[in-house]
Amino acid sequence: MKTHTLRKPLFPQLIFIGSAIAGLALANARAQVTVEIVHYFSVDSQIEILNEIQKEFEAANPGIKIQYTYVPFGELVSRTLQMAAVRKPPGISAIDNPDVLRVAKAGILKDISADAAKLKIWEDVYPGPKSAVTDGSKVYGVPVGSNSLALYYNKKMFADAGVASPPATWPELTEAATKTTKSPVYGIAFSAVNTEEATWQWEPFLWSNGGSLTDLDSENARTALQLWVDWVKKGVASKDVVNWNQGDVPNQFLGGRAATMVMGPWQLANVQKSGVDFGIVTIPVPKEGRKPVVPLGGEVWCVLKGDSKVEDAAMKFIQFTQEPERLRKICDTLNYISSVRSIAKQQGEANQVLQPFVDQMDTARARSQDGGASYPEISLTTRTAIQKALTGQATVEAALKEAAAKIKTILAKK
Amino acid sequence: MDPSRSIVRKVRFDASPYLFILPFVVFCLILLLYPVVYSLALSFRQATVETFVSGDMPFNGLTQYQAALADPIFWRALLNTILFAFFSILFQFTIGFLLGLLFQADFPLKNLCLALLLIPWVSPVLTAANIFKGLFNEAGPVNRLCHLVGLGPFPWLADPGYAFPATIVANIWIGFPFNFILLYAGMRSIPTDIYEAAKIDGATFWQRVGYITLPVLQPVSVAVLMLGTIYTVKVFDLVWIMTGGGPANGTHLLSTYAYQVGFSVLNFGEAAAIATLMVLLVVLLNLLQLLLQRR
Repeated sequence: MKTHTLRKPLFPQLIFIGSAIAGLALANARAQVTVEIVHYFSVDSQIEILNEIQKEFEAANPGIKIQYTYVPFGELVSRTLQMAAVRKPPGISAIDNPDVLRVAKAGILKDISADAAKLKIWEDVYPGPKSAVTDGSKVYGVPVGSNSLALYYNKKMFADAGVASPPATWPELTEAATKTTKSPVYGIAFSAVNTEEATWQWEPFLWSNGGSLTDLDSENARTALQLWVDWVKKGVASKDVVNWNQGDVPNQFLGGRAATMVMGPWQLANVQKSGVDFGIVTIPVPKEGRKPVVPLGGEVWCVLKGDSKVEDAAMKFIQFTQEPERLRKICDTLNYISSVRSIAKQQGEANQVLQPFVDQMDTARARSQDGGASYPEISLTTRTAIQKALTGQATVEAALKEAAAKIKTILAKK
Repeated sequence: MDPSRSIVRKVRFDASPYLFILPFVVFCLILLLYPVVYSLALSFRQATVETFVSGDMPFNGLTQYQAALADPIFWRALLNTILFAFFSILFQFTIGFLLGLLFQADFPLKNLCLALLLIPWVSPVLTAANIFKGLFNEAGPVNRLCHLVGLGPFPWLADPGYAFPATIVANIWIGFPFNFILLYAGMRSIPTDIYEAAKIDGATFWQRVGYITLPVLQPVSVAVLMLGTIYTVKVFDLVWIMTGGGPANGTHLLSTYAYQVGFSVLNFGEAAAIATLMVLLVVLLNLLQLLLQRR
């Protein structure tokens, strides 16, 4: 039997194997563009939507493969820089918006202004998110979606304390917080921990008061910080705020130890699940008639400079995510407010409780507007001042003066 | 025997032992030496976001070191690191030593207690740090205990003056089992007849500890203290999770500060300079210990 097989001419088999190899090679050549996407999304629902987009995109674009690479939040920027430094840049990096201009300054992001202008939704993108990705005439990315901060309040605690309506101004907020404070409940919870979270949570108060991180030695900045310091001094906010991160704050609120909290839309699902009777209002402003100015959160799809084939494929992927229906779904899943006005409006209509976040989008500000590429360093200096004032290491005036001087040298350096 | 033949045999080069250690040497070079040298080189270069990617990173001598030394937060972090190491090791060693003495005696459930004592050492630092953050909360168990005896509440993690000792307490808890187990093993290896002879000569318990246990245990103690110093100076995760270096930069160690400069500000050169100074500190502290031991 064996010998018989061996004696058979091998030609047909060879042709078969040869054509199979050729076929595979051909298929391989067609699917040879791989777009690597580095990101820090880690929640199940986020991973699911990413995988869903990948499947749909690859089905519609047989020549392109998507490959996700997860990187922890704190390392995304350094990893992206590292990959670019060894000439193996990813196709796309989903960068946190305040870092975009900083990374762009390293010269590794592609200017996609021409492609962005072609996007149907581009005209409709809010000015805030747009400014986070724009440097002069150059555009370095397209927002995944936006989030920001608003005020969550516990309706039952408000009713029990006789607070008739949710606060709209600082005096009303202080009054409501004072009335609802009753050991062990604090009137307000916020995060002033020694990370970006502290600066980010203070910015709504600073900016709504007309202040800026680049001008901290000013009356606007002083009253905004004094507001926080007074809450802690009077005991309507816990001294522990300097150690609470944004994960600890909702625990206080949901655990019934805080009547209000400064928090973003990403916690909405958790708060709803908890059964706490709550409401959300826009960030209270210094006085009536002012508009709340909140900082923008959310990531940006950025294309990295590299192989032009990969660049084009990456842009195709970004375009794919920006088709209105898909974009709406992505933002809904991530609990983001769309950076596109018409879609954000739909989200507010579909889910009334999100409306305050949608309302704030018009005036929301990109953090990198304060100091551009130097924002991360400026933010670091600012939060030291915030913590010094809150812990009584320095007066509000002295802490801000010191920070302002340091920020001046940071800005002069660049 | 022909003498010339034996000489040839002696001189012939045998590569096999070197081949055996080759994998280890390669491993050391790539995974241990390279990063250290790279970090050292980085500390003399202007490595920021812009220069890091373009790769030109100009050499700028001691500029990074000057910048670090001119920063008051660096000095605070340096002082903190030294105090953190000193108090951690002092208590870890003392507690470990006393427990070691206790476990020389036999008592019921001794082995169970031994296993329980190791829990702090085997639990992940991430978990321990979060638990301590909860314990030291304003309304947490520590303050409730203080309240029971009529003290407090203390702003454990909300005031630099309290937060720093709180991180040391947490580190003592994590580190004492390591000291205990090594010292305990060392004590077990001391022959019991020495103690018995001393006992017959009328030595009290503490005399036996002072004149037998401590001197015989010295080599082990040196090793424990040196390892302890290295472990403690490089503590990062515990403090990072408990306080993030705050409030008001009051609990920064050199490690957390280097991380902040490197990954928050993205000034890799200065971060490398701080890390290098941190390594120097470890070397200095260990030399100091050796000198003290010699005397």
